[in-house]
Amino acid sequence: MERRLIQPKTIEQTLEERERYAGDGMPIAGGQSLLVLLRNKLIAPRVLIDLEGLGELRGVRETGDRISIGAMATIFNLMSLPVIGAAIPVLAEAASKVGSTAIRNLGTVGGNVCHNELGADLPPALLTLNAEAELRSRKRSRRVPLGQFFRDYFETVVEPDEIVCRIEAPRLPQGATGVYLKHAISPEDMAIVGVAVVVVPDGSSERAVSEVRIGLGGVAPVPFRASKAEAALKGAVLDELDEKAIREAGAIAAEEADPATDPHGTAEYRKKMIQVFVRRAILAALEKQGRGSNGKA
Amino acid sequence: MVRLSLRVNGEDLDVEAKETALLLDVLREGLGLTGAKRGCETSHCGCCSVLLDGMVVHSCVVLAARCVGKEITTVEGLSQGGELSELQRFFLKYGALQCGYCTPGMLMAATALLQRNPKPTLEEIKAGLDGNLCRCTGYTTIFEAITACSQAIGQ
Repeated sequence: MERRLIQPKTIEQTLEERERYAGDGMPIAGGQSLLVLLRNKLIAPRVLIDLEGLGELRGVRETGDRISIGAMATIFNLMSLPVIGAAIPVLAEAASKVGSTAIRNLGTVGGNVCHNELGADLPPALLTLNAEAELRSRKRSRRVPLGQFFRDYFETVVEPDEIVCRIEAPRLPQGATGVYLKHAISPEDMAIVGVAVVVVPDGSSERAVSEVRIGLGGVAPVPFRASKAEAALKGAVLDELDEKAIREAGAIAAEEADPATDPHGTAEYRKKMIQVFVRRAILAALEKQGRGSNGKA
Repeated sequence: MVRLSLRVNGEDLDVEAKETALLLDVLREGLGLTGAKRGCETSHCGCCSVLLDGMVVHSCVVLAARCVGKEITTVEGLSQGGELSELQRFFLKYGALQCGYCTPGMLMAATALLQRNPKPTLEEIKAGLDGNLCRCTGYTTIFEAITACSQAIGQ
């Protein structure tokens, strides 16, 4: 039977259709990955539920210290909207490295996280921002921290009757800097290793770092925060945040990963690259605070 | 099947299509506009590039039904009254094509780039064409043609 396309105009209608076709329907956001999966016959939903008509899912709002991004905001929006660049610039940087210009023009933040493809660029950045997803079904709404959102390769906690409506993140603390580094054969590929780092300075002293957040993509079934590596650097004093400490953090992060071997790189290679890119990302984030690393690393 | 009203190259056209038809298929098979080429069909090669409200997109990953109410521009729409666009003339002048299969996509991506950024640096040109592959690897003359066009337009 020919595949159907439903184009609802409101969230309520969308959620009704989502519930009705929970078994064999799929929401389509930007479609930049989904239509490739369809073309390659990797999925075969009977119905596509188009989210394009939901204008309320497009906006990016700033409320208090939180940035709320509609799930249908495009990757291009993330790169170019001043509010993202000012409040959570690490997300803008990650967005600028997604796919190619054409893909960024249509691809969306909601689609990117729901697709949960290995090596996606946005999740590591969103994880270091302590972002949350706002999910809705006809019967309920709930918020899920991104750290609990991804379940397995191409799997998330989104239930068959739910859609992701918004992604929300607090603005970075005063003085904090972030960096996203992507290691790929060609820039438009998925990341072999994607590393987002946010360094939060400790306001009490010029030399103290209160927190280093490390988000990794491409190196485990799901993107994740390298919490043990982060713990090793927590409360570090800048003088101690030298080559040795940073290298150790990279090595711990590599241990936390669970990479697979695929045509883009072996598991062993990915572990080595985690060490390299975690180190580079931390140094680059410190550099953005004008603190460098005393030339030690 | 559904009836779609699409605005393509400034003309309003009606076309029959499957509900989930791709823009590429509707352009090529429904409307006979074969300028956008069928290449990888997986959004890598860019030879199906067209403009949607002035933005470059890969028409192999766009639902045609989503384009209702939007302005679609294909390579056929670049020339006006039989006159090639400035960019097309510079592609000719610099021999910015070999087999020519990627050319419509290159022209569309470069057209979008120059509209957004009339004076791109070489790096910006490369970034603007990051969604377009030339299998003949004839990039150098493509970059030269775009650079020369941007300089000519500015004068």
